[in-house]
Amino acid sequence: MPDQKRSLGRIEVSPAAIASIANAAVLSCYGVVGSANRDLAIGIVNLLSPDSKRGVEVHIRDGQISIDVYVIVEYGTRIITVAHSVMNVVKFSVERALGTPVAEVNVHVEGLRVSHTD
Amino acid sequence: MVEQTTTARLEPPLQAIDGQEFKWLTKAALAWLQHHQEAINALNVYPVPDGDTGINMVLTMQSAWEEIKESPERNVGQVAHRMAHGAMYGARGNSGVILSQIWRGFARGLDEKTAYRAQDLAEAFQEAVTTAYTAVVEPVEGTILTVARAVADTATKATEETDDLVHFWERLVFAAHEAVVLTPSLLPVLAEAGVVDAGGQGLYVILEGMLRHMRGEPIAEDIDFSEAVYLATAGLAPSEIGYGYDVQFLIVGQELDVNTTRQKITAMGECPLVVGDQAMIKVHVHVPDPGIPISYGASLGSLRDVIVEDMQAQYQGFIVEKEAPAAVEPQPAQGVGVVAVVMGNGLARVFQSLGANVIVRGGQTMNPSTQDLLDAIESLPNEQVIVLPNNGNVVMAAEQARDLSDKPAAVIPTKSVPEGVAALLGLNPQADLETNVSAMTLAVDGIQTGEVTSATRSATIDGLEVADGEIIGLHNGTLKATGSQVEDVVRELLRGMDTAQGEIITLYWGETASKEDAQTLAELVQQDWPDQEVEVVAGGQPHYHYILSVE
Repeated sequence: MPDQKRSLGRIEVSPAAIASIANAAVLSCYGVVGSANRDLAIGIVNLLSPDSKRGVEVHIRDGQISIDVYVIVEYGTRIITVAHSVMNVVKFSVERALGTPVAEVNVHVEGLRVSHTD
Repeated sequence: MVEQTTTARLEPPLQAIDGQEFKWLTKAALAWLQHHQEAINALNVYPVPDGDTGINMVLTMQSAWEEIKESPERNVGQVAHRMAHGAMYGARGNSGVILSQIWRGFARGLDEKTAYRAQDLAEAFQEAVTTAYTAVVEPVEGTILTVARAVADTATKATEETDDLVHFWERLVFAAHEAVVLTPSLLPVLAEAGVVDAGGQGLYVILEGMLRHMRGEPIAEDIDFSEAVYLATAGLAPSEIGYGYDVQFLIVGQELDVNTTRQKITAMGECPLVVGDQAMIKVHVHVPDPGIPISYGASLGSLRDVIVEDMQAQYQGFIVEKEAPAAVEPQPAQGVGVVAVVMGNGLARVFQSLGANVIVRGGQTMNPSTQDLLDAIESLPNEQVIVLPNNGNVVMAAEQARDLSDKPAAVIPTKSVPEGVAALLGLNPQADLETNVSAMTLAVDGIQTGEVTSATRSATIDGLEVADGEIIGLHNGTLKATGSQVEDVVRELLRGMDTAQGEIITLYWGETASKEDAQTLAELVQQDWPDQEVEVVAGGQPHYHYILSVE
């Protein structure tokens, strides 16, 4: 848990809470059309499921927050740019909410959704 | 500079747009967008307030234009497809990706058309909006998406009233403007910052640029983007490579082998960079004879975007620019090299004098790309490299460059100039990477940064109200002081900075201040803080009147 010393005691924020913030940020990200469920070996993909936090993993080691997000990206967008946006938006949203730096955001593009093939 | 971008003015009534006309509309949109780029940058507060929406949209449209500018094609469906492909391929930033999706849908809506009429355009805009909304789970209203939808809805209605495309387009521009004005009422973060949405404004400007072209009105000439970002490439000793040619090109083909290509290119010259996939490879290399890599590339596939530059000429240009021709010390190829991102000639000299080998130009509104940083890392002869981003917005790009580099590299995530200076003071070029990283990270700890600049718009930030043009002071990135006089803000800022705990106060004066101003200010600061040492350094940075550090 990242905890910040305050004169009256400690404030702890759980990885699950951080995951919620990160998930909301990911799903508002342009180009991302779903999160990928990494827990299941069969790789079930959750399209359009805003409640799922299974596409986000938060790790805290030595007080450093690192976040892994697993996403499905819309076919036809520039994937590298979408992935960079996800990194920036997740880092910005979590840091703004917590006031604690995020050491890294790793974006895993697990699949593409094809709506139009052009 | 004002001039028309077109060769021929259209005579009204305009009822159809062919491929060539669409090409010039794209060019007009790009030029008008470039003209408004800085203003759009300044509006950028959402989703991340990094002030780059304008430049990202320009670079995306630039790529769209590059794709079609040579095309003689008259079939508008074909031209729109290529333009959309160019936009997708060059999409930069969130706004760029959305814009590329809009063009992708737009082009799809008109697959079979040889020329666009009002009815076709209305369908194309509807398809553009459908496509743009498809690519996001939770569309955020009050953004470029909202503006695009307003345009499409108006286009559908306008077809019932007119088939003159100039009138038709006037409706679209008017609708876009109305939608932009409403964005703060849909997205609270915009209202709080007192701005309209930057991406929405960008789309409005694009449509307006096209309208100006249709009406034959003047459009600002383009801005030159080809300025080099490097101040120096310190590691390149002239005798070693003789300043041959800087060669860059793209190989387009099938089943290309990146690794083999990289090995071959690496054997040909210095500073090789070979990246890509099976369909396309980007090559950059410094060689005495440019024919060798180009012939090799041509044997693999078709070449595109071939650039050959004489590095001797570049080097001489650099020498002429350089104010003080300091002796070029031979750089050790061993040990750790340092890449630093700074803005301002004074700061560049400060960083070089402290041991930075390569300066990459960058700052508040023009962040260097990952590629710029990667090129800088690769250009050093040193086997290990440390990168100092010196700005919170650059840290991510620096980390990507580190990950992409073949060399062992590290990023000290310095968020400001004083942090970068502190980190460099901890540098020991003879020590290994790991030792330097821990020493430099330790040196950054406890550095306090103050930045004093002028507000570019009225807003409420961190609970303080700021008026346009007012002087504002930030302590470690948070707004802490406002006022009408630079001196007052600097002094107030220092009072909130645990200055009593520090030993040295440094004032880096920027391009808006003078040496006399800085010395007068230093005397005032010395009176406030008699126990501390006050140093004055010529930073020459844009935007910031002063950067302060307390250590």
